[in-house]
Amino acid sequence: MSNNGAPDSWEAQADVIGEQGAKDSNDVSTKFSTLNVNAVEFVPSFCVPSQGNDSTDSPTSPQKSESESTNSAESPVLNGCGDGVESGDGRAASASPRVEEPPPVPPAASAETPVPVPSDVSPTADSWEAEADDALLTPEDSNEVEEEELEQQVPSTEDGEISKKIPKKKPVRVEDTRSKKEHVNVVFIGHVDAGKSTIGGQIMSLTGMVDKRTLDKYEREAREKSRESWYLSWALDTNQEERDKGKTVEVGRAYFETEKKHFTILDAPGHKSFVPNMIGGAAQADLAVLVISARKGEFETGFDRGGQTREHAMLAKTAGVKHLVALVNKMDDPTVNWDEKRYNECRDKILPYLKKLGFNPAKDLSFLPVSGQTGQGLLERVSEEICSWYRGPSFIQLIDELPSLNRKMDGPFIMPVVDKYKDMGTVLMGKVEAGTTRKGSTLFLMPNRAQVTVDQLWSDDIEVTSIGPGENVKVKLKGIEEEDVSPGFVLCDTAEPITTGRVFDAQVVILEHKSIICAGYSAVMHIHCAAEEVTVKALICLVDKKTGEKSKTRPRFVKQDQVAIMRIECAGIICLEPFKKFAQMGRFTLRDENKTIAIGKVLKVVE
Amino acid sequence: MSEESSADRNVEIWKIKKLIKSLEMARGNGTSMISLIIPPKDQISRVSKMLADEFGTASNIKSRVNRLSVLGAITSVQHRLKLYTKVPPNGLVIYCGTIVTEEGKEKKVNIDFEPFKPINTSLYLCDNKFHTEALTALLADDNKFGFIVMDGNGALFGTLQGNTREVLHKFTVDLPKKHGRGGQSALRFARLRMEKRHNYVRKVAEVATQLFISADRPNVAGLILAGSADFKTELSQSDMFDPRLQSKIIKLVDVSYGGENGFNQAIELAAESLQNVKFIQEKKLIGRYFDEISQDTGKYCFGVDDTLRALELGAVETLICWENLDIQRYVLKSHATSQETILHLTPEQEKDKSHFTDKDTGVELELVECQPLLEWLANNYKSFGATLEIITDKSQEGSQFVRGFGGIGGLLRYKVDFQSMQLDDEEIDNLYDIDDY
Repeated sequence: MSNNGAPDSWEAQADVIGEQGAKDSNDVSTKFSTLNVNAVEFVPSFCVPSQGNDSTDSPTSPQKSESESTNSAESPVLNGCGDGVESGDGRAASASPRVEEPPPVPPAASAETPVPVPSDVSPTADSWEAEADDALLTPEDSNEVEEEELEQQVPSTEDGEISKKIPKKKPVRVEDTRSKKEHVNVVFIGHVDAGKSTIGGQIMSLTGMVDKRTLDKYEREAREKSRESWYLSWALDTNQEERDKGKTVEVGRAYFETEKKHFTILDAPGHKSFVPNMIGGAAQADLAVLVISARKGEFETGFDRGGQTREHAMLAKTAGVKHLVALVNKMDDPTVNWDEKRYNECRDKILPYLKKLGFNPAKDLSFLPVSGQTGQGLLERVSEEICSWYRGPSFIQLIDELPSLNRKMDGPFIMPVVDKYKDMGTVLMGKVEAGTTRKGSTLFLMPNRAQVTVDQLWSDDIEVTSIGPGENVKVKLKGIEEEDVSPGFVLCDTAEPITTGRVFDAQVVILEHKSIICAGYSAVMHIHCAAEEVTVKALICLVDKKTGEKSKTRPRFVKQDQVAIMRIECAGIICLEPFKKFAQMGRFTLRDENKTIAIGKVLKVVE
Repeated sequence: MSEESSADRNVEIWKIKKLIKSLEMARGNGTSMISLIIPPKDQISRVSKMLADEFGTASNIKSRVNRLSVLGAITSVQHRLKLYTKVPPNGLVIYCGTIVTEEGKEKKVNIDFEPFKPINTSLYLCDNKFHTEALTALLADDNKFGFIVMDGNGALFGTLQGNTREVLHKFTVDLPKKHGRGGQSALRFARLRMEKRHNYVRKVAEVATQLFISADRPNVAGLILAGSADFKTELSQSDMFDPRLQSKIIKLVDVSYGGENGFNQAIELAAESLQNVKFIQEKKLIGRYFDEISQDTGKYCFGVDDTLRALELGAVETLICWENLDIQRYVLKSHATSQETILHLTPEQEKDKSHFTDKDTGVELELVECQPLLEWLANNYKSFGATLEIITDKSQEGSQFVRGFGGIGGLLRYKVDFQSMQLDDEEIDNLYDIDDY
């Protein structure tokens, strides 16, 4: 996780600069003494996104790709790019003489930013649309990881194309300090021990987001606990309890990049008790990866009633996931041994269910065999001698090639808060659902209608000046205390704040409930990132599943497999929107007793 | 048989509850309200003698009004006692006095009954109100179970006793989540996180001691710990958790939410351990009723009219009624035809005077009898061959039954086709335009 250190160190520096000025050169140098150890480690991995996102002049990048591995060559390059914000680590090497320099740095950075900012809205919008039309416009110039990837996964023709596009792209890139690649949020779902975290960790290791040293450390520590096969998942399971038990509890978060896209990994817990956490993760995802264990017996328990495979897939669909990739994992297991029959069996069993959920097998579904532990089939294709029957793309190739998502660029800014913490200010985490915002703008935090200003922005740990839809961001706010925020709040535009309410009418499909549901029924509702206790106030009418006709009489009760329109009352005021107006804020799930009872959509907010 | 007697007992309990309520409301003049409780195996003669002594003392009261009413009450109690040759097996309770009604009128009251289970109190008190504490205690001495529901967002402390579910205390916490922050401070963050979690466990343990230990002893018969993730196990094993409570832990259950929902779920999951608690029985009963409905067996009824019709048919096996059912039963008589009509009205309908007049002639009907429907049912259910179950709306199922089905219904022995489906009297909301899903 050392690559995550970068933003912290900037912050520390920014503070140091702002508050104490030159007097703390001692401080800084002491800091460096500790930093220096890591510097070698994380600069390369950190450079990847920064180069992709920030204004790097063209000469530096070739130079960089050539002299990649040596860190000594790195620091001048970094300083040379004029992107002062990130030079902290590089400077570590050159130590105190440079310490005087920082003061001009923030102004320089900010001087850079205002220029693009006014022109930000329209050109970016264009470029984003352009991206949506033609994904080939997106690629960045060659830097080390990407080059590696190019060699490994992209056919040479495309490579050529990319290099052709580079000159075209450059002018656009210079004007903005915001990540330009298309952002895709990927949630890993599936039954307990299917290998979600391991695959996540393996991908990070393959794409170079976790360096070798850290992995070695994990491996060593894992071996000490005689849990050797778990070490990959430790990249995402960062808590002590999670590592001790090998069970993810909270949604893990990480990111990696390909040459076209920027992916945020959300690693959902598979355990039954933590489904509420999983829903929070799924609510931010565009793409779900359903991990299925092919190992004998494991597949069956996961898919049986009570297994999480079905529930997760259903919840992901309800949470608004557009595309689902089913990874048949553990193909290297002795009981499976890359057996085509087993693969087909798993696929054929799960396919009808996924179809029933509304995933179109031609468009929204893909299946592929992988092995998370060995990494086969993730970044590269599985070699022919092991698996002769599957010749399709590898996982990363596949998700890289997926068509672009339709994002709401214009329209009011909406970001549901997933998590928050205090770090020299109130920092909120979440995925931008619609609209854009930038540093310094004023927003509302609903439902309390608290006015806040944006102090700092990060898109997946990289500091930026503006953010757009689909990005998984951290926002540091001024004007609110951390205690006054809770997950499920929504950060939105002052001109068009999101609707809030306590009572609303909704259309609800009852999925699984042993008895009946009538007025007075209470459950927990998950809507976007919020979880709230709700009570059914009244049933309004039944809806015929086939014809969509509404019954004239008021039903006394609804039972399993029926569709009804009901009035629902929440315990407190929450943010929501009618489904018609904004789908992502208008769909919800009702859960009770560890089961998903119903899914629904908001029709009308009453009060 | 045992099931039937337990149902009878429940009706009995409900009656006592109601009685207590009405007795508590009563206020009299001076100290003329006598509360007399005789424990089992006491002697009537001893009590009679004591009353005679009291009579002598009371004749010295200065105030004439007070003296007369006290003497009157004592005489009345003495006469009542004469009806008994010996103290009944469960003891005897007598309340006697002159109460002042709301309209300022005086009303003589003399109630004597044998409680449904042995009452171990000896009490003689003259006051301006009736003393019912002993009776309340009689109702309440079911086993009490404590619940601690803790998850990452907060903790809830509650108890379950008889059919009452009570939330004693709840608070929320703000624990740091997992956050990908790290770098050289990663360890520091991890440590801060552990510390916060540790403090949270400590706080829960302390509050638990405060709530569940009174007079140096646990005040609950058993303790159930619920929660998601590891907090509950951590708590149960922690040194900070009071060992006196530790020994009371019956069960650890996994719930996915905290708060009220988690509490409900914890009760549900701990049901096996709490077999005898009335709350669980109530849940089961209504659960069975809902099952009949969801399977559409037709062996159920709801609503006042249908239920009464089914009762008359003798089809009702179990009659389920909400304890606070506010429907009044009116027996009205027309002078012209001397025909009796029976009406069941909600408080709102009572305001409408048209119910009390003859539709044809416009003459006001004579009110023969007016009492709460539930009371009437409690007195008469046996003649319909049904058992009566009185429920609360405290449980999830109970709340659904009351709000969705009007608080009255029954499980039937055989299928009955009700022609008139009762129309809802609630306002029918305008329908909405709905785009397809």
